[in-house]
Amino acid sequence: MRRPAPVIFATMLLLWALVALLNHYLAVWHVHVFAGGLLVTYGALHLPLRSGLLVTAALSLVLEAGTGITPGTHLFLLGAAHAVIFHVRDRVPRDQTGTRVIIALLANLGLFLVLSFLLIGRGPAPGTMWPRLILDLVCSQVLIALVAPWFFALQERALVLAGATPRRLL
Amino acid sequence: MPSQRFDQARPFLTLGLVVAVWLFLPVAVKGLLRASFFELQAPVMVSTSYLRDLQEYWGLRVHSKSELIAAGRDLARVNASFELASQQNTELLGEIRRLEDLLRLPPPAGYRFEHARVVRRDFSGWWQRLVIRKGRNHAIPVGAPVVFTGGVVGRVTEVHAYTAVVELISSPAIRLAAAFEGDQRPVSFQGGINPTLATPRGAIEFVPLDIFASPGAPRRLVTSGLGGVFPAGLYIGQVTKVEPSTDGLFKTGEVVLDARLSELTEVTVLVPLDPS
Repeated sequence: MRRPAPVIFATMLLLWALVALLNHYLAVWHVHVFAGGLLVTYGALHLPLRSGLLVTAALSLVLEAGTGITPGTHLFLLGAAHAVIFHVRDRVPRDQTGTRVIIALLANLGLFLVLSFLLIGRGPAPGTMWPRLILDLVCSQVLIALVAPWFFALQERALVLAGATPRRLL
Repeated sequence: MPSQRFDQARPFLTLGLVVAVWLFLPVAVKGLLRASFFELQAPVMVSTSYLRDLQEYWGLRVHSKSELIAAGRDLARVNASFELASQQNTELLGEIRRLEDLLRLPPPAGYRFEHARVVRRDFSGWWQRLVIRKGRNHAIPVGAPVVFTGGVVGRVTEVHAYTAVVELISSPAIRLAAAFEGDQRPVSFQGGINPTLATPRGAIEFVPLDIFASPGAPRRLVTSGLGGVFPAGLYIGQVTKVEPSTDGLFKTGEVVLDARLSELTEVTVLVPLDPS
C-alpha cells in the first residue's frame, strides 16, 4: 500500500490553487475567501499524527510563502487546528461527510478569527476593518459549506486511485 | 492512566516540538524555505496567467473588423495627442537640464521602465499584494516603486527568479512620505482601509494645521520624494477628510485611492538606473 500523506498533500495543493484563482477574480470586488480550515480537516481526521502534521506543516509553508506575515504564523495556527482536530477525532463520527463539514467550518472560523486578531493591529484604523473581515468570513464559510463535500470525496477517491487508502477507511 | 493522558496530549506535545524546532531555526533557513516554496508555486501562477492572456486573445479575436477599424482610429487620435505631449516634454527636459547646468544641481535619479503583467491579485482584509511576471530575470530590485496610469501602485517587496511580489499602497504594511500637491511639507501615508465593494482608502498623519480638505473640496496627495524609494510628484489619491489629531499638534486624514488598483492587469516597475 502506498503512503496516503503525499496524495492528501496533492489534493490540498489543488484546492489551494483553485482558491487562489478564485481570490484573483474576487479581488475586483474586494472580497477574499480563506479555506485553511478545510485544507487541514481530512488530514487531521484520517492520517497518523506524524505524517498528518508533516502534511499540515508543508501546507502552511505553501500558504505562508504567498503572504508577507511573520514566518511561522501559519505553521503554528494550522498546526494547532490539526492538533485539536486530531485530539477529538476518536470521539466524533469522522467518516460522515456532515461531521467533516462541520469540523472544517469550525476550524476555518477559529483560524480566520485568530489570524484577524493577530493582523488587524497593523492597519491605521482597525475598527473600520471588521465589516470587511466579517463579510470575508461569511463568504469563506459559505464556500466551504458548498465545496467541502466535493473536496472530501475527491480526497477519498484520490486515495483509492493511488492505492493509498488508510486501513481504517477500507 | 499516565500513558492514556500522554496519548491525549501527544498531538499538542508534537506540535510544541515542531514549533520549538521552528523557533530555533536560523532566519536564513526560514527565508530559504519561504523562497523555495514560493518558487514551487510560481509555475502554477505563471501558467494560469498565460492561460488568461490566451483567453483574452481569443476573446479579442471575436471582434469584428469594423470594431477594430474604429479602435485603430481612436488609438491614432490618442497617439497624435501623446506625440504632441512628448515633444513638449522633450523641450521641458532640455530646459530643466540647462537650468541644472546653470545652477550646478545634481541630476535627479533616473529610472528604467519595466512593464509587467499581473499574475495574481491577493486582496484580503489582512494584506494586499500583486504577483507580477518579471523578477530577477529582468533585474527587478527589491524596494523598486511600481506605478500605473492612475499613479502609485506600491513597492516591490520580494523578487524571485521570474516573478516579483508587489505590496500595494492599500496594504497596511505600506508607509511612505507624501505631500499635498503644491505644498512641500511631508505627511505620513499608510494604506489599510479596504471595505468590500468600495474604493480602497488610506490614512495620513502629521498633516499641518493650516491644510484643509473635504469631500466637496478634495486635495491631491502625491509622493514627496523623501525616503529615496518613490520619485516626487507621483499621484497617490484624493484627501477627502482632515481633522485635528488627539494631540492637537497636527491633523489626521483619509485618502481615497484609485478604484482601479484592484483590477490591474499590467503595471510598470521603476528600476533605478543608479542602484546606489
